[in-house]
Amino acid sequence: MRTPIAWFVMLSGILFALGSLGVLIRRNALLIFMSVELQLNAVNLALVAFARMHNALDGQVLAFFSMVVAAAEVVVGLAIIVAVYRRRQTVDVDDARELRW
Amino acid sequence: MVGAELTSAAVTPTLGLLWLVPALPLAAAAVNLFWGRRLKRAAGWLASAAVGAAFVLSALVVAELFRLPAQERLFVQHLFDWIRVGAFRVGADLRLDALSATMILVVTGVGTLIHVYAVGYMEGDPRFGRFFAYLNLFVGAMLLLVLGGNYLLLYVGWEGVGLCSYLLIGFWFEEVANANAAKKAFVTTRIGDTAMLVGLAFIVWRFGTLDFDPVLGRAGATLTEGAATAIALLLLGGAIGKSAQVPLHVWLPDAMAGPTPVSALIHAATMVTAGVYLVVRSAPIFEASPVALPIVLVVGLVTMLYAGTSALAQTDIKRVLAYSTISQLGYMFMAAGMRAYAAAMFLLVAHAFYKALLFLGAGSVIHGMHGEQDLRAMGGLLRRMPVTSATTLVGVAALAGVPPLAAFFAKDQILEIANHTGRPLVWALGSLGALVSALYVGRLAALAFLGRARSRAAERAHESPPTMALPLVALAVGAAAAGALNVVPEGRLAHLLEPVVGAVPHGEGIPAWALSTLGGLIAVVGLAATWVVYASGRVDHEMLAARLEPIPRMLGAGWYVDAAYERFVQAPTLAAARFIAGVLDARGVDGLVHAIAGGVVGIARIGRRIQTGFVRSYALVFLFGAIALLVLVGARS
Repeated sequence: MRTPIAWFVMLSGILFALGSLGVLIRRNALLIFMSVELQLNAVNLALVAFARMHNALDGQVLAFFSMVVAAAEVVVGLAIIVAVYRRRQTVDVDDARELRW
Repeated sequence: MVGAELTSAAVTPTLGLLWLVPALPLAAAAVNLFWGRRLKRAAGWLASAAVGAAFVLSALVVAELFRLPAQERLFVQHLFDWIRVGAFRVGADLRLDALSATMILVVTGVGTLIHVYAVGYMEGDPRFGRFFAYLNLFVGAMLLLVLGGNYLLLYVGWEGVGLCSYLLIGFWFEEVANANAAKKAFVTTRIGDTAMLVGLAFIVWRFGTLDFDPVLGRAGATLTEGAATAIALLLLGGAIGKSAQVPLHVWLPDAMAGPTPVSALIHAATMVTAGVYLVVRSAPIFEASPVALPIVLVVGLVTMLYAGTSALAQTDIKRVLAYSTISQLGYMFMAAGMRAYAAAMFLLVAHAFYKALLFLGAGSVIHGMHGEQDLRAMGGLLRRMPVTSATTLVGVAALAGVPPLAAFFAKDQILEIANHTGRPLVWALGSLGALVSALYVGRLAALAFLGRARSRAAERAHESPPTMALPLVALAVGAAAAGALNVVPEGRLAHLLEPVVGAVPHGEGIPAWALSTLGGLIAVVGLAATWVVYASGRVDHEMLAARLEPIPRMLGAGWYVDAAYERFVQAPTLAAARFIAGVLDARGVDGLVHAIAGGVVGIARIGRRIQTGFVRSYALVFLFGAIALLVLVGARS
């Protein structure tokens, strides 16, 4: 008996919601970053689940792409955070608001 | 009607050289423009040689032309097609006939002497080479003007001499007054030139061509009286501007800001006569109109009297001569207005000699007195500058009309024709003008050369170098002998010009010998009167002038015409410009732009509040946006 697709989608939705919440309420850039990763992986889970449902590989391929891009994004993102920390001695995003009006 | 149809002569080796006449000065101008600085003093000799060679060539070509029978004295040299638009064609054609032959001989002949003179006069000027480049360019443009076989080529030369006049009046542009005088000359003549250009457009509209032969040959048959009047008056507008006739005369007295050789060459002997040439050349158009020639006559008459009286009260030696030139040009216009074209041309030739002489004499005086131009500071120069004084006095006598010098014949013929064609008023006023000429020129001579020296500069005045003295002598001979060209109104020059400009008008009146005697008497009496007043020491002329106030002041200011122009033309124009710049432009046009920019800034001031700088609020907006999109897509499908 296969696990129903709805479970996967629900798990994916819960993870995504958790990630979104993290992005919105966290002030530490690193934690926001981790929350974004959570969102990405929630989407990957949904993609793989749908791929299995349709018996097609498209979703899995897309999930791989998403992981590769996420890895690249982590490299750039962490580098920025390190640079910001070196300059300001903090990674609180509410502090970095020079680019307002 | 003007002369019968001429047939064009076949080209001969000599006539074929015609194109070199304007080309030589133009080429020398180019050389001097590029290498004038390196040539140093040679620039002046090169320029003189080019104009001299043009004179020799002109003489050769003209001699060849006059070897032909009278009705074949026309040579048109087609150089190349200049403009070809459909049926409309303008060729670069040079046209040599008796009229242009007279003009090129005067231009190159007098021009050569003035070039030689200028070598001495401009000695040591830092822009020596450039001066001669401009002078040569002027001669080339003037030759193009008189040799042009159609109105467009004439117009090219016309504008060319205008440009050179501007460049040379403002040659010493370090002085603001000189630069302003140059601007004034350019703008004032431009008014006339614009009228002339419109006239040319009229000619194209009516005739479909600008060539002299078809236009002038068919003028009477093609044009209605109204059209002829319109074209003639528009051309006359150009002539009035260039020849400094009332009401566009104001630029010429100011043009004396230029170096004196320029005043002699451009503002006395050649360029200003271009207007007379234009009227004489376009005679058939003027004759096709019932009012054009009378208007020419009136313009000439008014100008002659106006400028003559203004010259009486000038204190600057060159301004006396400038007003005198305007007055003499008025005589030429009077002659043309009476269809006495040959008489106009005769005075033009004679005037070129004695006025160039007078100007060069004045330049020599100024040179000898180290820049002093005020007649009141001169006096007694006869002993210190003998050559200059003697030659200038010949010019003075020639201008006054002392027999048998140039103007005695030239002016008298115009007055004689006025008397014999039933214009007693013109004759009377013309004679009055002759007396005025004798008075102003006599005053100049008495104040400058006779009496005693009235300043240290006058006491220390020295004679000018030979390059300046020799042209003076040559011109004095010319001024004395030019009368022989046309001893009677139907004389040799009139005879030569007859195929082009038609016969001299005839009529009955006071016998010619009586008129000539009267003319000579006027000259002698006028000169004698000025001697008594200004040089004999028997009359205190300064006291006399003071008692006559405000008349001398009014005449000295040129009847306040300049002041009136400043008040009624210049001031309103400036006020209008200031209104447009200060109010219409600054408040209206700029105001609109500023209002739009202000609106954009206002909207931006509100709109930019969205940019809070809080990353998390951006993320929230982002999330809501994504959800909204999802809902939207979901609702669609």
